[in-house]
Amino acid sequence: MVIINKEICHELTDNEIVIQSLADMDYFLCLYERYESRLLRYIQHITMVSDEQAKDILQEAFIKVWQNLHGFNKSIKLSSWIYRIVHNETISYWRSKKSYGKDQKVKLNENLITQAPDEYESNDDLEKKELLTHEVLKLLPLQYKTILILKFIEGMSYQEISDVLKIPEGTVATRINRAKKSFVKIASDKNISFFE
Amino acid sequence: MNKTIVMEKSKTIIDRIKEGNIKQRPKLYFTGVNLIYWTLYILCILLGAASFSVILFSVQQTDFNLISHMSHSNLEFILALLPFFWIFILLLVLFVAMIIFRKSNKGYKYNRLYLLVLSATSSILLGTVFFIGGGGQRLEKAFAERLPYYESVMDNKKKVWTNPEEGFLSGTILEISEEGILLLDFNNMEWDLEYNNAFISPRVTLKKGEQIKMIGEITRSKHFKAEEIRPWNGPHSGSGGHKKRVEK
Repeated sequence: MVIINKEICHELTDNEIVIQSLADMDYFLCLYERYESRLLRYIQHITMVSDEQAKDILQEAFIKVWQNLHGFNKSIKLSSWIYRIVHNETISYWRSKKSYGKDQKVKLNENLITQAPDEYESNDDLEKKELLTHEVLKLLPLQYKTILILKFIEGMSYQEISDVLKIPEGTVATRINRAKKSFVKIASDKNISFFE
Repeated sequence: MNKTIVMEKSKTIIDRIKEGNIKQRPKLYFTGVNLIYWTLYILCILLGAASFSVILFSVQQTDFNLISHMSHSNLEFILALLPFFWIFILLLVLFVAMIIFRKSNKGYKYNRLYLLVLSATSSILLGTVFFIGGGGQRLEKAFAERLPYYESVMDNKKKVWTNPEEGFLSGTILEISEEGILLLDFNNMEWDLEYNNAFISPRVTLKKGEQIKMIGEITRSKHFKAEEIRPWNGPHSGSGGHKKRVEK
């Protein structure tokens, strides 16, 4: 009797899980389990949907992962490939809700800004700093927001971002630079300071 | 082998796959899709090469070295004879090739300019080989024969060289003697040619039935004084000409 539990999943590498999943569907749970929390966080950062909606999007995306598992190209990281599918699914969902892109209206949490401390020291302050970061991210165009989230929140390398968004690494670098400038400008326009 | 699944939280995804009877796409599907992209890419490169070979043929036949002999209005005329149709086809297939390449497995790793240069270089090199092998001429001829509204390179060339008022005349030699040549131009008009002092390209043999083109001037009605005689087919040969050699 084989018990597929977290311990078994932890012992397997991503590529091993893929191979096992192709032979036995139940191993696919290991993938879901491994990436669920990261991907839910990513979906919510991008779209600001509710927990339930994020879970729906993630399930739809994982069904696509399952359907296309034979198409996974081992020359890229499995995580990048899964992020790509989840990213596309998230964007499709967001577009279908017609509240994406130019139509997007995001209100800044003014209370959060007026309460922003001059210096960040305690955990509370760091939390506020994080919230402020998200407030600014909300106001960025989607492609800038996405690339900053992938780079600075998900901690991906240029190559990984290139594989997720299917753009050349050079474009990743350029877009990150532009996104950072845009972020700083919005923060400055809203009188938000992170590094005093 | 029996097994127990103990990750209830994630189990719903497996249930959905099982209940929905969702099938995996076979490996062959992905191999096939990639193969289609590569086939389409190669077809685009080949089409680009064919277009480039016709462009080379067209440029070769259009005698752009005549520009120095032409007035402004005629300059516009000869530039209008550039093979725009084929240039458009070449640019279009290079653009499509770039899009197709980017759709392939690793295509997104390359920037558009790199892909455009790569595709253009491949088409240009291959097109030059086609042109040297006569492919450009054959393709152009096939188009001219099959497409009713297609203006062939030869039609354009006849337009340029049936312009005696501007000093350009061409046609087929009907008769030849020491005194002159009787020429039938492409509008079926006969001309008496004076060619005593003309520069004659080494590829011109001056025999009955030969097609030639000339630069010169009208001296009087239906009389043309040639300053330079070139073979109808092929480019201008700038050196090694002769003055007069007649084969009857």
